[in-house]
Amino acid sequence: MSLFDKFQNTATQYQALLDGIGRDPFGVSMDEMKGPTRAMVKGKETVLAGTNNYLGLTYDEHAVAAAKEAIDQSGTGTTGSRFANGTYAAHRQLEIDLAAFLGFKHCMVFSTGYQANLGAISALAEPPDDVILLDADCHACIYDGAQLSGAEIIRFRHNDPESLDKRLARLGDNVNGKLVCFEGMYSMFGDVAPVKEIIEVAHKHGAYALLDEAHSFGVFGDNGRGVCEAEGVLDEVDFYTGTFSKSLASIGGFVASNHPELEYLRFSSRPYMFTASPSPANVAAASAALARLKDDQSMRITLWENAKRVHAAFTQLGFDLCAPMSPVIAVKLEGREQAFAAWNFLMENGVYVNLAIPPGTPNATSILRLSVSAAHTSEDLDAIIGAYTALSETLSNQAA
Amino acid sequence: MPSIQEDDDLVFRKICSLIEPLNEKGVKLTRETDLIADLEIDSVAVLDVVMDIEDNYDISIPVNTISEIKTIGELVDAIHAIKKEQS
Repeated sequence: MSLFDKFQNTATQYQALLDGIGRDPFGVSMDEMKGPTRAMVKGKETVLAGTNNYLGLTYDEHAVAAAKEAIDQSGTGTTGSRFANGTYAAHRQLEIDLAAFLGFKHCMVFSTGYQANLGAISALAEPPDDVILLDADCHACIYDGAQLSGAEIIRFRHNDPESLDKRLARLGDNVNGKLVCFEGMYSMFGDVAPVKEIIEVAHKHGAYALLDEAHSFGVFGDNGRGVCEAEGVLDEVDFYTGTFSKSLASIGGFVASNHPELEYLRFSSRPYMFTASPSPANVAAASAALARLKDDQSMRITLWENAKRVHAAFTQLGFDLCAPMSPVIAVKLEGREQAFAAWNFLMENGVYVNLAIPPGTPNATSILRLSVSAAHTSEDLDAIIGAYTALSETLSNQAA
Repeated sequence: MPSIQEDDDLVFRKICSLIEPLNEKGVKLTRETDLIADLEIDSVAVLDVVMDIEDNYDISIPVNTISEIKTIGELVDAIHAIKKEQS
């Protein structure tokens, strides 16, 4: 028995698929960046349509200038954790700015979005009497946070308030705290949660609601505050989690809340306490991007116009789409082999999207996930739609 | 009231009927069948089957319990234990 035996099955399958297409979908290297939507990949200029750069701010001049200035002033790294020696004034200021933008009283900044969920969930729930209920399609960091807490974990059906209601009703009297975890927009299919109903069900049973708006912050709502703003229930959210690595074009994460007890997490959340804080450049870039997001609604308008155009084109091409129109547009393929081949076909045609296969996808589907950016130019969109048009012809020729 | 043996078989049969569509290699299902090693069902698919079982029996099976389960027989036993506890 070796440590490595357990990898063998997956490794063999993976290798067979790689040998088939001669390229690794999970190891693409962008050899040279050409801007927010283009990169050189193996000598070919490629349109990036598999990022999470929703507002297209990765090269924003204000954010770039702020990041450079932060390095000059505060250095390249903090070399310390938020809890000990890694909290600078800029970390505090960003917490204040995020809380003010969202309308919450408290906010904590973490080093990544992954750690924000990991840190909040693992600290909030505790065995043996707390229970975490999570949407079946929640991101890995929510599952991992729940596992790290050690509390009992119960899954409810994706986007199904009734399924949550049944599971909350079944809990015995000896349960203490209940935490319901779900997301605003789900990253793989781009489908949106019935946020209002899920929060209503959670509160009816005395449970707290933790909503992850990682992919919807900056994208949904009149002010970009997420799906909960769009549904008018932002102030009903107990714990709002988000990331800097999507619309804010940096890296880091946060948890915001009106519960003053959020502050207790600063000395009880291990993923907050035992890792280095985000670097000055990351914090400055996120702060600058937040300011841009507040001041300029046009990026969000462009994003949705771009999404609409791609979604309409794909619908016309007859692709099997996973969700109604949103900036994430996922096409369902017939299986792993077809998805690998289709992904490779798009790469050869100069378009990079995400290949996603089970178990990383809902309902064991194999998909090509595309995400639209406000920075995509009309030419970028032409290239994307052109490549998918050619793909659709190839697929229908194969089927014939 | 069915005898324990009959009830046991009903739960076993119900689980087999839910797993059968995922049994691509046509493995003969017994209590000793290992869900992941023998059937090559991925961990998320196992969780999805359990969700069907939960709704069928109106019980909640924690993810923590499922991650300790390897075989169909262990799943059957866990359901009996939880049915008893939650009824």
